[in-house]
Amino acid sequence: MPTTMDTTMPTDATASPMSDLSLLGLIQLISPALPIGAFAWSQGLESALELGWVSNEAEIGEWLSGVLEDGLTRCELPVLARLQRAWGEDDAQAVAHWNDWLHAVRETRELSEEDSHLGSALVRLLRQLALMPPESMLPERPGYVTMFAWAAHLRGVPERQAMVGFSWAWLENQLAAACKALPLGHTAAQRVIETVRPELVGAVDTALTLEDEELGPILPGVALASAQHETQYSRLFRS
Amino acid sequence: MTVYEPIGPDAASGHRFDQARRWSAWLDLRFAQRPSGRGPVTRLVRNAHEGPLRVQRPFHPEGPNGCCHVYLLHPPGGLVSGDALTFNTSVGAGAHGLVTTPAAAKLYHADSHDVAWAQHARLQVEAGGTLEWLPQETLAFDGSRGTQSTTIDLEAGARCLGWEMLALGRPASELPFVSGRLEQSFRLTRAGRPLWIERQTLDPNHRRFQGYWGQGGATVQGTLWAVGLDDEEAAIEALRAELAPSPRWAVTRRQGVLLLRHLGADRNEAWDQCERAWSILRPRLAGVPAQRPRIWNT
Repeated sequence: MPTTMDTTMPTDATASPMSDLSLLGLIQLISPALPIGAFAWSQGLESALELGWVSNEAEIGEWLSGVLEDGLTRCELPVLARLQRAWGEDDAQAVAHWNDWLHAVRETRELSEEDSHLGSALVRLLRQLALMPPESMLPERPGYVTMFAWAAHLRGVPERQAMVGFSWAWLENQLAAACKALPLGHTAAQRVIETVRPELVGAVDTALTLEDEELGPILPGVALASAQHETQYSRLFRS
Repeated sequence: MTVYEPIGPDAASGHRFDQARRWSAWLDLRFAQRPSGRGPVTRLVRNAHEGPLRVQRPFHPEGPNGCCHVYLLHPPGGLVSGDALTFNTSVGAGAHGLVTTPAAAKLYHADSHDVAWAQHARLQVEAGGTLEWLPQETLAFDGSRGTQSTTIDLEAGARCLGWEMLALGRPASELPFVSGRLEQSFRLTRAGRPLWIERQTLDPNHRRFQGYWGQGGATVQGTLWAVGLDDEEAAIEALRAELAPSPRWAVTRRQGVLLLRHLGADRNEAWDQCERAWSILRPRLAGVPAQRPRIWNT
């Protein structure tokens, strides 16, 4: 708990304190070691490299910063918060609504399949760990964000930290893809993290202010690159 | 959540010049199958309108039992601040309608009050019906502000193919799109379930307008959708085999919706690509060869 009397400290539910166990639960959920195969997709990045749109450290940083602002901020992050709330309120209808919405905004087969595959993989893992939600709450074709929200809820991770963690996992995963495909050096990747890291926090701040009708990614270039990836001759990542 | 706002006959209208100004026009069309001595025929059974928006007499260039073609006419030819156009088009079971326009729609510079225009298309297709929505492109002049939405509600077993093409600025007159703001959105449902939701915000002063993750500096964009293909994968293979590969277009399918996207700088390239894609997809979707509407030649 903040010990200061500073009245500007946020007091909403999204800023509630997190126990050590919850923190560990979040770290476990966003670890690259989580066996769900998140490393297998590049989300259009490999294609952007092939097209020559992104070819060095600075351009990777710009691409990620842009996708963060026009993608995650308007899509995964605010919907993650809505889903986590829905799980917490046993609102199966809201869970199904946002799960359907996420499937509907996936621009390409690659992006859609990534979400479905990771969602199924997380369901399998949670089932083996006996951590699944009741069947009556589970939507049809639960996607990755939907199951991530469930796991965060189960571990008592506050909404805001779940969003911060989710965006971190995305950043790390994209940079891992860039290191393999570009290639980008590991130190260079850390420099990109240093630049983008504060932006993750800004993205969460903005995501928490958006109304339902403001949601939806605006990523025409990513959509084009991701669809081009389906026919890319030589590729490291799944499409 | 819906982006479609019905603008009915009771909508506010009149000579106001503030933000509430709205000069509305709407058109309500319905295609339905009717029996005739020579077999079933698609007829335009509803044709209601208000304001400067109407259709020419429907006709059957593909034979009396074939697709019913309709041209949407908007005599002013363009949208200015405060205009609000709504197109409602529905297709009944077994009917086949094709809707196009005789010319590009123009979106003019916003007035001194920066009032936006709006254009909404709402397409509904019942099981066994087919709708082709093939308007000519929209030309957005520098400084235009507005919202364009396309809402597509399909029953299971309905077929729909359509496109929206947007060109920004007037390259021939060296008048690029350097100010203004356009919102374009799509929402497609089948049997009440959302399958495709997309929005594009075109703001030349936002970094995504040049950024490769966003618009990448493209001034022409086209989005073509098709739902109801028996074999989507084969259709995609045909498109990839017959349309020349280029970094400016790509096709994909997700959730039963085939999507072809074009991001470029040349209106004719985008148009040719979409028209060729239509001619490849139409036989697979509707079982009849593509027949180019004559109005496109004029």
